[in-house]
Amino acid sequence: MKKIEYLVGNNKFKSISRHPYNNLTCEFIYELSKILTNHPRCFEYPDIKTLAFWCRKKNIDILKSNFNSAQLRTGLGLVFHITPSNVPTNFAYSLLFGLLTGNSNIIKVPSKKFEQISIICDSIKKALKKKKYVQLKDNITIVRYSDCVEFTDEISSICDARLIWGGDKSIKEIRKSQLNPRSRDIAFSDRFSLCVIDVKSILKLDQYGQDRIIEKFYNDTYLVDQNACSSPHLIVWLGDKDSKAKKIFWNKLRKYIDKKYTMPNIASIDKYTKLCEDLINLRNIKKYKIYTNLLYVVTLKKLDFGINELRGKWGYFYECNSKNLDNLAKFIDRSCQTLTYIGIKKDVLKKFVIKNNLKGIDRIVPTGQGLSMNLNWDGYDINQSLSRIIDLK
Amino acid sequence: MRNLEKLLLEDPYSMDKQKKNLFFKNYLNELTLHHSDNSKEYKKLINYLGYSVRKKHEIDKIPFIPVRLFKELKLLSVNKDEIIKVLNSSGTSGNKTSKIYLDKKNSLNQVKVLQKIMNKVLGNERLPMLIIDKKIKNIDRTNFNARIAAINGFSLFGRDHTFLLDEKNNINYVELNKFLSKYGKNKFFIFGFTSFVFENLIEKFKMNKITLDFKKAILLHGGGWKKLENKKISNDVFKKKIFKKFNLQNIFNYYGLVEQTGSIFIECKCGYFITSNFSDVFIRDSNFNLLKDNQKGFLQLISLLPTSYPGHNVLTEDIGEIINTKKCSCTIKGKRFLVHGRAEKAEIRGCSDTQ
Repeated sequence: MKKIEYLVGNNKFKSISRHPYNNLTCEFIYELSKILTNHPRCFEYPDIKTLAFWCRKKNIDILKSNFNSAQLRTGLGLVFHITPSNVPTNFAYSLLFGLLTGNSNIIKVPSKKFEQISIICDSIKKALKKKKYVQLKDNITIVRYSDCVEFTDEISSICDARLIWGGDKSIKEIRKSQLNPRSRDIAFSDRFSLCVIDVKSILKLDQYGQDRIIEKFYNDTYLVDQNACSSPHLIVWLGDKDSKAKKIFWNKLRKYIDKKYTMPNIASIDKYTKLCEDLINLRNIKKYKIYTNLLYVVTLKKLDFGINELRGKWGYFYECNSKNLDNLAKFIDRSCQTLTYIGIKKDVLKKFVIKNNLKGIDRIVPTGQGLSMNLNWDGYDINQSLSRIIDLK
Repeated sequence: MRNLEKLLLEDPYSMDKQKKNLFFKNYLNELTLHHSDNSKEYKKLINYLGYSVRKKHEIDKIPFIPVRLFKELKLLSVNKDEIIKVLNSSGTSGNKTSKIYLDKKNSLNQVKVLQKIMNKVLGNERLPMLIIDKKIKNIDRTNFNARIAAINGFSLFGRDHTFLLDEKNNINYVELNKFLSKYGKNKFFIFGFTSFVFENLIEKFKMNKITLDFKKAILLHGGGWKKLENKKISNDVFKKKIFKKFNLQNIFNYYGLVEQTGSIFIECKCGYFITSNFSDVFIRDSNFNLLKDNQKGFLQLISLLPTSYPGHNVLTEDIGEIINTKKCSCTIKGKRFLVHGRAEKAEIRGCSDTQ
């Protein structure tokens, strides 16, 4: 097919199953980490640095030891990855997940030509050139194409699993391409995420501590235009509703983004339009504040069932009070993905989950780790999802 | 509420700055009150946006609503059964179309004001009209509703309408020569979208196929420069090319929104759009603060016409710039401004699609 650009590999796809976390694959990934770290342009791209750090030996070894090896497992075979258009390095994580779990992979990268993609592909090719890793060549095919349903159809029909990142619309579109009946579909749909903050914890922190919290919150949100599925849309304040903590938090955030964040002009109109829609349609609205065009905060009267539909972008947050964590529980539905938290103890969160039979929430992580990629994602254990059990008795 | 009757008797560019400020302040506050009284949604919105109906606000302090809101919500300030016409416009943001609801009064005022403004360009009589497009029945209605609306709207000011293009978008020289031999020696009116005028008159047109040039014509064109920017064609170059080829000197670019049909802006001889007695503009930065002359920002457009929908004061996604009146050698009263196209589409990060 002429419209397909092969960045790594060629059109001879093979379905290969290996033992998950086999030594050869792990060593290949350590090697990749080294190549990425030493790449002359690595320092220009923090996301490449993060990726290189993620695939370092220490982290891979931790993942390996976390893998439940009591069961006999093997990779599924060929995994087809369809990765999101606006996160330049996501495709690499998806590939690594596929490799670690013992599969051969076809990865569709965004059609937008991010520099990071070519750096990563060059590094992969460099690693594959080493004699030791030549046999892994058949495990990695990276392609770029757009509007070629025939290719999506073909790969979908032969793959053993398909990973679709990128929201409801893409999922519906791609699912029109039929899978083999035995194959697995793993789809990451549109999600709602929220952040829970204990007001007292903010007040207890010194200036430095507060600044660190703001920085972490920024990394979960503004760093990706608040548009990752795990970026919080709603902030729930736990405790005294008149607390100074809110004022401190928003004002500090405002100062931080003034220095650090830029967004396209048109985003100002996007946010203003969103506000006008909310002012007309959202019944649960109490007030709003425009700190600058970079920070809109809409205050809700109370928690209610509509919260899971709230979506903000480019720094558009909803906030709400709750006396305690348990009050939040009944309003969580299945679209809720990540709960990030500030100033709440882990065992309190554990009790909250166990006690309340939650309908949603797949991840609970401290603020600052909202975007950390992990093999547990969106409620899936990818180790399990991309491998199969061989029952031996 | 005041009506426009008195203003319709005057020249459309009659008001000086001071008179206009006073008039607009009164009129716009009343108009805002009218919409607030007749649209629950609008009332809720402007209350939240800090508008108090009890006091008279300065013109630039009256809340504006984003023009995109007409794509998202159904907004009208009269009873549903009084609506006689709905205007649609497609835009670049997604596939949603604006819906503008017109009652009889609003619709009529649009025609009256457009007539007032057009008379300044064409004179008081209906002129033979050449349209740089194909017949409306041949235009794909699903995509080009705004195009049809514009052709229909401006056709009112012409007679013996002749369409330059056949259904396959080829120039119909036979029809054109018939038109020219009949009307070419006297004043006639040419209308078309800027990109169509460029493509057909400047690029494709073969001069050896016609017998008379367009010396007596008045050309009105609008609809944006997006397609021409890639070819580095400025308004100035555009005019020069037309003049060189057709000996046509009376060329007017217009700017207007479907959301404010009627009170359009026509450029003066110096190439600036000019506000009329029925319209005003402000330029705002991305925090929506007012900008000074010669600074680029979002165009806020004000029109006295909208009464059946709250579109009298809108913030557009177009980038514009007010030009100091001293820079313009025309004596027409009104603010001068330029439009620099639509604000660039945003590239958002995050994980929302897979293209």
